[in-house]
This record gives sequence, structure tokens and C-alpha cells, in this order.
Amino acid sequence: MADMKKIQEILMNSIFDVYEKMFFVFLEPMEDAVSYNLTASIRFSGIFNGELRAYLNKDMARSMVENMLGLESQEITEKQMEDCSKESINMICGSFLERLSPSTVFDLSVPEGSIKSGIFKKEDPGTLNLAFDSDGQLLAVSLVINPGKK
Amino acid sequence: MSFNVLVVDDSMSMRAVIKKIITLSGFQMDKCLEASNGRQALELLAENWVDVILSDINMPEINGLQLLEELGKNETLREIPVIMITTEGSGERMEEAFKRGAKGFIKKPFLPEQIRKVLYDVIGVGENGRYEEDPRNTDELDF
Repeated sequence: MADMKKIQEILMNSIFDVYEKMFFVFLEPMEDAVSYNLTASIRFSGIFNGELRAYLNKDMARSMVENMLGLESQEITEKQMEDCSKESINMICGSFLERLSPSTVFDLSVPEGSIKSGIFKKEDPGTLNLAFDSDGQLLAVSLVINPGKK
Repeated sequence: MSFNVLVVDDSMSMRAVIKKIITLSGFQMDKCLEASNGRQALELLAENWVDVILSDINMPEINGLQLLEELGKNETLREIPVIMITTEGSGERMEEAFKRGAKGFIKKPFLPEQIRKVLYDVIGVGENGRYEEDPRNTDELDF
């Protein structure tokens, strides 16, 4: 498996790609903690197992729905925000694994989401933790990799 | 002439986006049916005819690959072209989908133009007069 620096680069590129193409959101990496209102997660298994989790604040989730579905802010529901959050982690996971190991088939779980608030800190337990900002719209992504086979 | 589409994806946002892209691409769509997994898709197909199916792979209950298998068992339904739109883009997974009868493959995240192009390639144009113009003639969709 690639080293951690390489994994971080691949994961960041996957996140940028998904957010720019599907949600028209341009992210800037940041060091600060992320205050979040929604979470989404997906598990994967193949030559190694793991989990990707996303933590988003409401502004980010609302903006994703607005941009993806072309809705006005007042029309947006929590269900749509949760759905977009789940779909984003699904796409990030697929893109990341394909870039990391193109010839390997991974099985992905159905993504899960929840309306849950908290503070995500980059030093939280996880193989790799990343945080992003886009004009106050906040996103954090945490990757946990278990080296053993499934 | 317009045609009927079935979009199968467990994300309602993704179904809405795909539907919007098809409309913006200039394809004349009569009816767009939606299903959130393969089981719902098969239920809809028992009562409705569609000209093309766009389906995700990773879904609960019956996933996209299982849906292809079920369609392949039915003499009538196996004639419907299926385009997979999925995050699972490894070569092996694509090959598996094509072996089971998929006619096109689009990886998420995608650009609207990619859906337009694959739809055009899979459904064809001209003799059946389905489209007013070649949807590939314009470079970008105003999304």
C-alpha cells in the first residue's frame, strides 16, 4: 500500500474532484477544528478494509443541495442535506479507492448518514484526518484503514 | 419521438441530477421513472416499458449487478439497454457489468456531458428519429 503522504494526496484529490464536479464547491485545506451538524460514513473491504467519514456543517450541506439540485435555500430539507452528504462520501470513497489501487475490486457498504452535531479535531483518532473550508462552509474527512484482509 | 427512462439510485439527489441532465441534453423524454434499488426497478418494469435504464451499482436489497442479472433472465427486459452510473469504477467491476449485459458505464463523479455522450452512444440517433439534433454538437451543458 502507498505511504501516508501519498494516501493523503490521493484522498485530497478525490475530495476536490467530487466537490468541484458534483457540488460546484471549491475547498481550501485548513488546520482548524470543524464544528459539524451532519455526518456520513461508508465502509470498504478488499485487499484492506476501512471506513471513510465526512463531517459537514449545515452551510456546507445546504450549499451542496442548492448547487446540485438547483434549489432555493428555503426549499431545502434536512433529508436532502443528509442524502447529498451520503452521496458525497460514496463518491469520494469510490474515487479514492480507484486512484489508490486501480486494478483492485473493493466492496462498498451502503453509505449511512445522520444529523448529529459535534466538533471534529484533526488530532482525533483516525489514520488520516483532513479539514476544509469554503467561505465558512466546513467539511472534515476522516479515513481509517485496517491493514488486514477482509 | 420521445422515450421513457428508468433511473435507479438509492440517492434521491443523484436521481434528480441525472433526470435534469437528460432533459438539458436535448433528449426528448416522455416519462422518467425512478427507483431507489433493483427490487423497486423490477417492480416498475413489470408494469412499464422503458427505452433505457441508468443504474447505480451500490444499492440496498438488489444492487445494480444483481439487477442486470435479473434483467438478463427475462426475454423482453434483456433488450432494454442499461447504463451503469457508479462510484465503483475498477476495470474488473466494469468488465463484470458488461458481461452481465450493461451497454455503458459512467463513473461518479461525472460531468453532465459524459452522461449525454454515453446516452447518445448507447441509444443511437438518426433512423428512429428520436432526437431533434445530435446532442454531441454542443460542447457544454448550461447546468
